[in-house]
Amino acid sequence: MGDILAVRNVVKVFGDVRAVDGVSFTVRRGTITGLLGRNGAGKTTTIRMITGIFMPDSGDIQWLGGGDGSGASFRDRIGYLPEERGLYRQMKIVDLLLFLAEIKGRRPADVRPKIDAWLERFELTDKRNSKVEELSKGNQQKVQLIGTLLHDPELIILDEPQSGLDPVNMVLVRNLLRELRAEGKTILLSTHMMGEAERMADEIILIHRGQVVLEGSLDHVRGAGRKNALHIDFDGDGAFLGSLPEVMDAAIVNNSAEITLADGADAQKVLEASVGRIRIRRFELAAPSLEQIFIEKVGDDTLAHEVAR
Amino acid sequence: MRKTLAVIKREYLQAVRKKMFIIMTFLMPLLMIGAFAIPTMLMGNIGEKRVAVIDGSGQLKGAFVAPEKEEKPDLAIGKRGRDLPGQMSIDYIDASGKDVEATAKPYVAQMGGKNGFDGVFVVPHDALTREDAKLKYYSRSATDFVAQGRLSSRTNRFVQQRRLTERGLSQADIDRVLSDLNIEAVQISKTGEEKKGGVANFFVGFILVALLFVPSFIYGLETMRGIIQEKTDRVVEVLVSSMSARQLLVGKVLGIAAVGLTQIGIWILLAAAAGGYFAAVQKVAGENFLAILKPSTFVYFAIFFLLSYLTYVCIYAIGGAVCNTEKEAQQLIMPITMPMMLPWFLMGPIITNPEGKLAVGFSLSPVFGPLTMYVRTLVAEPPMWHIAVTILVSLATISVFFYITAKLFRVGILSYGKRPTIPELWKWLKVA
Repeated sequence: MGDILAVRNVVKVFGDVRAVDGVSFTVRRGTITGLLGRNGAGKTTTIRMITGIFMPDSGDIQWLGGGDGSGASFRDRIGYLPEERGLYRQMKIVDLLLFLAEIKGRRPADVRPKIDAWLERFELTDKRNSKVEELSKGNQQKVQLIGTLLHDPELIILDEPQSGLDPVNMVLVRNLLRELRAEGKTILLSTHMMGEAERMADEIILIHRGQVVLEGSLDHVRGAGRKNALHIDFDGDGAFLGSLPEVMDAAIVNNSAEITLADGADAQKVLEASVGRIRIRRFELAAPSLEQIFIEKVGDDTLAHEVAR
Repeated sequence: MRKTLAVIKREYLQAVRKKMFIIMTFLMPLLMIGAFAIPTMLMGNIGEKRVAVIDGSGQLKGAFVAPEKEEKPDLAIGKRGRDLPGQMSIDYIDASGKDVEATAKPYVAQMGGKNGFDGVFVVPHDALTREDAKLKYYSRSATDFVAQGRLSSRTNRFVQQRRLTERGLSQADIDRVLSDLNIEAVQISKTGEEKKGGVANFFVGFILVALLFVPSFIYGLETMRGIIQEKTDRVVEVLVSSMSARQLLVGKVLGIAAVGLTQIGIWILLAAAAGGYFAAVQKVAGENFLAILKPSTFVYFAIFFLLSYLTYVCIYAIGGAVCNTEKEAQQLIMPITMPMMLPWFLMGPIITNPEGKLAVGFSLSPVFGPLTMYVRTLVAEPPMWHIAVTILVSLATISVFFYITAKLFRVGILSYGKRPTIPELWKWLKVA
């Protein structure tokens, strides 16, 4: 599968702030690509340039998806879910969804049956004729998501899609995204929730201060084979774990320790040192989590705080 | 094109379903008629006023007291004459041989009290003998000119009669000399047809102009509010990622324009119904109220409404696009919209002199054109080429405004920060 989108050396400056400072990446067709970064890293600005809301100051964004034969502009083949809700509060759900499909160039008659199917799927059928303002935040988010997908876009760009959703709906959205990928759609998923990206994404683009600091497949990013993350669950006082010579860094919370091993250190040594001091319930050697990589990469103190939040 | 149509449809349906539309459509004409008809009716009726007439000459009783009540001429404090029904009740005081000012004093002092007088009218003792005698009217308000005018014309008429009598004219001759001629207003149109309307036309004209003008502002404001709402709700991001700012703006402006035209359509139907009624009435009254309501009135109304509306709505759209709150937007566009209202404030001179320099100049200039020209078509018959120039100038103005608006709209619509200043807007205009 080829690339559907290429972003090349894109720059966007607001006043004195270089919000996006020479970002380049490509999005491969049929993947879920995670665009990661802290709040204010430049994710949303990058996305707004892809969707044509902002023009980049320099650099270019190229649609590589080719034509679909209908002559529709590539904008109509993108579905965009903005970070903040963007719905007309006074409109009925069904009217609003029709409108959103129409501004993507779809005929109302063609999308009506689809609206019903989507509402059914998101358990919103009984809200069909309610006004947007009468819905809960989570339901509004679901309506927005339907509006993003209704015109059957090839590239789906989601900016923090799971904000405001409860765990049940988060699973619903997660399954939906996997399903869309299976149908051959491409998804660009912007999020600051590392765990979510880890579960979903095939490819990772990590943005920090307007620049790409890490890019590649999830396995590549996590450093395939580099198993230096040690997870230990235990009973007793595990404070000593942090001071072992094999341990480079340790985060010990309650009765669970996330340890980064020093280069070349043997995890078995840590196990030996623990015997008799704590009761071990779980001992696992794994590749580092995205969260750890993230902190490592852009590491500063406030950041650890940010991610933990 | 389909996208713009979708926006037009949405704007239209949303607006027409709002209470605002119902109120504007059915209440506005009533309010306008009320706003002009009520003061007009009240103008002729100043309410019950109590006025003391201090007559130093002692001979003017006939002017103020009805003849049948003249039986007791010995009354020092005259009885109240009600010969001006529903307007004034007059206490006539014969002050012949006394100092009129001194006599008037207690009455003036009583003014404003519970049973006091609203005015005191003083006639000097030499009123009938000296040509430069001065009448004096004490009043509680500086603007009580209706009562003052009535009292003075009554006195003068009486004095004139007296003077003529002294010159030996008979009462019949005097009546003939002083009889007023009636005036009949006749408007000559180019086809030579005669139309009569006069004052009634003046007010019908005023109402029509208000109906043309006020919606431009109200719908302009609605458009501005809508754009700000879209920014607040962040819908604008979805919109701008799906279409160009220009497509969006065109859709919005035309959608609201369609709302205005719908409203006018309803008004024309209502006017036609009312016209039928008045046509029946005027046959009885013998006056032509409807000289002004010719078919062309409605054609011009639609044309000039659209031109006026489009001129204003662009300005309001800029306000909406570059600001984040209604208050900010109002402050920004106020200095622009106030001068645009000039023809409205100058409606008096324009409507009374529709072929004057002011009216012609305004009607042919940008921005002021549509409204002023509409007034001219109502009360006169401006040359066809004047009308054509107004339409062309207005279309050019709208194109320029629209171009500027579309540019600022593009930049402004996604700016959530502080309200830009005019120099900043200028910068935007150059980069956009």
